[in-house]
Amino acid sequence: MTRVALAFMLLCSVPIAAHAADKSEAESAIAGAVKAEDAAGKLGNRWIPAEASLKAAKAAFTSGSWDAAVAEATRARLLAERAVEQSNEQKTAWRDAVIR
Amino acid sequence: MPNRRIRARASLRVAVLAAAVAVLGGAAPAPDKTDPLADQKAFQASFGERFPQVPFADFANGPYAVSAPMRKQWEDIMQFPPYDFALDEGKTAFETPFANGKSYADCFANKGIGVRQDFPYFDTKTGEVATLDGTINRCREANGEKPLPYQVGLMASITAYMAETSRDKPFDIKIPDDPRARAAYEDGKEYFYTRRGQLNFSCASCHVGAAGQRLRGDILAPAIGILAAFPIYRSDWGSMGTIDRRFTSCSAQMRSEPLPPQDKSYRDLEYFLSYMSNGVPISGPGTRP
Ligand code: HEC
Repeated sequence: MTRVALAFMLLCSVPIAAHAADKSEAESAIAGAVKAEDAAGKLGNRWIPAEASLKAAKAAFTSGSWDAAVAEATRARLLAERAVEQSNEQKTAWRDAVIR
Repeated sequence: MPNRRIRARASLRVAVLAAAVAVLGGAAPAPDKTDPLADQKAFQASFGERFPQVPFADFANGPYAVSAPMRKQWEDIMQFPPYDFALDEGKTAFETPFANGKSYADCFANKGIGVRQDFPYFDTKTGEVATLDGTINRCREANGEKPLPYQVGLMASITAYMAETSRDKPFDIKIPDDPRARAAYEDGKEYFYTRRGQLNFSCASCHVGAAGQRLRGDILAPAIGILAAFPIYRSDWGSMGTIDRRFTSCSAQMRSEPLPPQDKSYRDLEYFLSYMSNGVPISGPGTRP
């Protein structure tokens, strides 16, 4: 869980890329986010803020705001990756919480 | 928004701390064997120890069992129970025949009166957990009627009526000697204890670990008996809600995308929670401030 926490804190301080993004960068950022979200979904662990960022990324893409699309898609991907990590860890860790 | 972030960070810090403690403590690997009855005994004993002043049957009353001030509020609300309207609507719907002349009574044991405590059950024909709400919709479909939405409205009213005819009957959930039933139970148990969502909470984090504590305006209900009062009227909803509505809103509180109502995992979860509550009497429909 330490890694999840660290990643979260890093995420909050990720500097947004200094150069202006173009359409193809936005496209690939969104594709990466979709892939990560699908992986989290397969584990039954989509995080609401990841879904929200992915949606915002797509909306930004539609309106041609490539920078915003990349920023939101990156946030969605990182959150989804943490979700996958959480699920993988919980595959066995949940047993430690069982009342016995 | 900033508040939320601070809360999320705080809870993650707690999680980090907990993880560190677990590592230092060198938690032994847990045995994998499924023994529902042993689980149930340990579960009930642990809440009994946590809340020695609460009579066992009172766990049917959720937050009211563990908070005296809330109990006082409850007594005031109950002068005019806000679920009365739903109860009337549910009784009428229950007794009104379908277009084909059959009715809900034809789909249930004892014509559907006083049977709430037997749900959910493991259906050996389908190999899956059957909930009361799901069985109501299957009954409708078998008789040429459209299924009802699961979270609010008529589904809540009909289950309110069926619960009311079952008041004080103790939960009597069975796990048949069938590997599929045990797998469903185990799946529900795993769902209950598994952390998910951005805040890194499991159902147990709030309804076991923090049961009886205050969270914003609420007192967290203990997990034992937690479904006995359903469906419930909640003032903050301003209407009745079913078990699916509650599961959905708790998933959202965990910043975890809710599953569709009656998803297999939600049904298995209901099976686990109800089995853990065997012996706690049905108290539904309920009302929450
Ligand atoms: C962040 C804490 C939190 C988590 C995690 C959480 N809940 Fe809740 N839950 C609440 C609050 C707050 C309420 C409303 C107050 C109360 O009755 O406990 C509630 C109420 C409920 C109730 C109704 C209790 C009653 O008597 O009215 C049920 C059932 C329930 N939760 C189930 C679940 C399940 C199942 C999960 C896991 C999917 C879960 N909760 C996870 C906070 C949480």
